Amino acid sequence: MKNRLSDNKYKMIAFINIVVVITVWYLLSEVFQVFRNGMLPGPNVILETFISKLNSKSPDGNTLLVHIVSSLTVVITGYIIGVVIGLPTGIFMAWYRPIDYLVRPVFDFLRCIPGLAWIPVITVWLGIDLKAKAAIIFVNVFVGTVVNVYSGIKQTDQVKIWVAQIFGASHFEILKRVALPSALPYIFTGLKVSLGMAWLGIIAAELLAAQSGLGYMIQVARNFGRADLVIVGMLTIGLIGAFLTYLLEKVEHIFVKGRN
Amino acid sequence: MSSILKINNINKIFINNNGSDKAVLQNVNFEVEENEFIVVFGPGQCGKTTLLNIIAGLEKQSSGQVFIKDKLVEKAGPDRAVVFQNIQLFPWLTALKNVEYSMKIRGFSKEEYHSEAMKYLELVGLKGFENSYPIKLSGGMKQRVGIARAYCTKPDVMLMDEPFGALDAQTRYLMQDEVLRICNTEKRTIVFITNNIEEALYLADRIVVMSDCPSTVKEVVKIDLTHPRDRTDSEFLRLRKEISAMVNRKR
Amino acid sequence: MALKIRNEGVRKFFWGFLSIFLVFVLWYFASQLDHMKNLLPNPINVIKFIGISVIAPIGKTTLFGHLYWSMTRVMTGYILASIVGIILGFFCGWSKLGSALIKPIYSVLRSIPSIAWIPLAILWFGIGENSKYFIIFISTMLIIMTNVIDGVKDVDESYLDVARMLGTKENQLFLHIVLPCAVPQIFNGLQVALGAAWATVIAAEMVRSSKGVGWLILMGQTSMNMTQVFAGIIVIGLVGLTLALIMRWLESKLCAWNIRGK
Ligand SMILES: Nc1ncnc2c1ncn2[C@@H]1O[C@H](COP(=O)(O)OP(=O)(O)OP(=O)(O)O)[C@@H](O)[C@H]1O
Ligand SMILES: [Mg+2]
Repeated sequence: MKNRLSDNKYKMIAFINIVVVITVWYLLSEVFQVFRNGMLPGPNVILETFISKLNSKSPDGNTLLVHIVSSLTVVITGYIIGVVIGLPTGIFMAWYRPIDYLVRPVFDFLRCIPGLAWIPVITVWLGIDLKAKAAIIFVNVFVGTVVNVYSGIKQTDQVKIWVAQIFGASHFEILKRVALPSALPYIFTGLKVSLGMAWLGIIAAELLAAQSGLGYMIQVARNFGRADLVIVGMLTIGLIGAFLTYLLEKVEHIFVKGRN
Repeated sequence: MSSILKINNINKIFINNNGSDKAVLQNVNFEVEENEFIVVFGPGQCGKTTLLNIIAGLEKQSSGQVFIKDKLVEKAGPDRAVVFQNIQLFPWLTALKNVEYSMKIRGFSKEEYHSEAMKYLELVGLKGFENSYPIKLSGGMKQRVGIARAYCTKPDVMLMDEPFGALDAQTRYLMQDEVLRICNTEKRTIVFITNNIEEALYLADRIVVMSDCPSTVKEVVKIDLTHPRDRTDSEFLRLRKEISAMVNRKR
Repeated sequence: MALKIRNEGVRKFFWGFLSIFLVFVLWYFASQLDHMKNLLPNPINVIKFIGISVIAPIGKTTLFGHLYWSMTRVMTGYILASIVGIILGFFCGWSKLGSALIKPIYSVLRSIPSIAWIPLAILWFGIGENSKYFIIFISTMLIIMTNVIDGVKDVDESYLDVARMLGTKENQLFLHIVLPCAVPQIFNGLQVALGAAWATVIAAEMVRSSKGVGWLILMGQTSMNMTQVFAGIIVIGLVGLTLALIMRWLESKLCAWNIRGK
């Protein structure tokens, strides 16, 4: 009872806090104009920019929605290909010893290279179209997925494997019935991390070379000195990223938690 | 003789998740005298840990009072040191630092708490393991550290909750003798909880026999056997039978 | 079929060597194919390039010079972020008031990927060093904060009870129980953040810079010098590996109580 009361108190504080922050922000940037030439536009300006950008094509040639769709298409394509190839690679690496010994050292090194460092290579190889962007996402997702699936399967309880062996399960059956199910939570963690990496990757790729997409939009906005549009872009990026993670968590819920 | 710990009409009712009540303790009364070794004996799940937690001040009773040296117990404090069923050492501190912790946090000087902690570590037979982290110690060794830690708190009463429950039979016998030896060196008031009648008889000056849930005190039995006790002695076996019967008897 | 080699260390070394060697050979033959001419550099040239650029400058400075610039950017932002992130994280995780004050803003900033800060940072701080410090700072600070908050949240309630039983006062609980208890999780945060800082600085240098290893590979791309690109990538990987190893070593020293030893 008492706890509930104090919880409400802190909810109030949080709420008042948000109101105060937005008000102070508004006063500082719009009324007193403390930031030189609109470096931090007020919350009202951000909102206006957001609404107008839904229809307006300036300065980057496309409306907000087109940018969003463009970024999402690339991310989802690259992500799915990365996961579809990365999952089995990780599984085989973890489960078949010769592959493990041979491929693991390479991956130990590859995971130390940030996915973004491959952008120049891919740009030279594939140009800057959708295929190239998807390839950048693919590299980002692939390595992350492999590493996480691999360590998930490696964590399988040895006792469970022995039990399965005693019951005469074949190597492949043990993988299917014991190792994979118990690795599922790790796999989903990996999928979530990779999704974050993919979303980060597309923004980076679009900052460097693109004609559309949210990363391109904020890059152009910067060139025009439009801080308001940059911030709108950042918030949109953040929001979509959070939404994608949320979707994946729903899927995880069905697969992992729904069983028990 | 004055009683140092007074348990006065304790009741405890848990509210289950589904909203139903569960009475665990019902009018529990008993007193403990200074330097006495009291064993609270009761069947599993009857509420022994709950009782001990209430005495320790870690759990709130539904009604009734606990007095220590005629002072009402309201919250946990170093006058009642607990040796927990599941040990609960601080994993980030070495054995020595775990034992030192209480005196250190209460502002004793470094020489003081260090020499005291070393003394108790030696007393529980852990000389040479001062600098080991709990993760590297075996179950029995951890429990010894727990006991040394409780001693080093310099409590008025030591509360021990099935401290040897998780140990194998051999180690368990060994630890029982250890506790008696330590008690001989350093007199302390001890409330010791167990669901093992043999252990109760081997250690106790008096046994508080609890009933099944909701628990009440069935009887308090004085054990006059001299130490060291023989587990196959006829009087020992007779008492064992008698007390076992008490628990099962209808109220 | 796997060779039976008893000694773990020797085995790892053997397979590691074999595996890297195979990649190298494959890479070499691939680079000799005709239509790969301008796409995949000869690995031997890449190694030579790394060797030469230790003394001969590329652009404004040598390889070490570029590494020095990148590391300075990373470390400045990262160290600042560690201090601020740990303090804010504890405030937010331990005090309800702190949580009410910081959580709302934190949640918004947290969802924005580090790279998306680059344009705003350039607008605010120009194209010089400050914008890079800022990008590293903001992105790593949020990672560290998240881990500190989780670390504090995960402190086992029963440790607090035991501490009270042993005579700890409420205002001592934080320093003596919560802080040490959260150390492994904080360390995990510091580790992840350092990796992220390294990735972020590469991106920031690719977007706008005139030195640093990120600039190095982007320059390689613009001048179609694939040898330089691959040399840069290998160096980036080596530095990433070194940073990870250092952090793991530190962890084994600082969080010894949390790791099952031999
Ligand atoms: N927080 C709680 N909420 C609801 N019920 C509880 C709670 N704690 C304990 N109980 C119930 O109270 C009863 C007594 O628990 P307690 O742990 O005190 O028994 P115990 O005698 O110490 O058992 P054991 O011999 O296993 O140590 C149990 O049935 C338990 O389910
Ligand atoms: Mg119990």
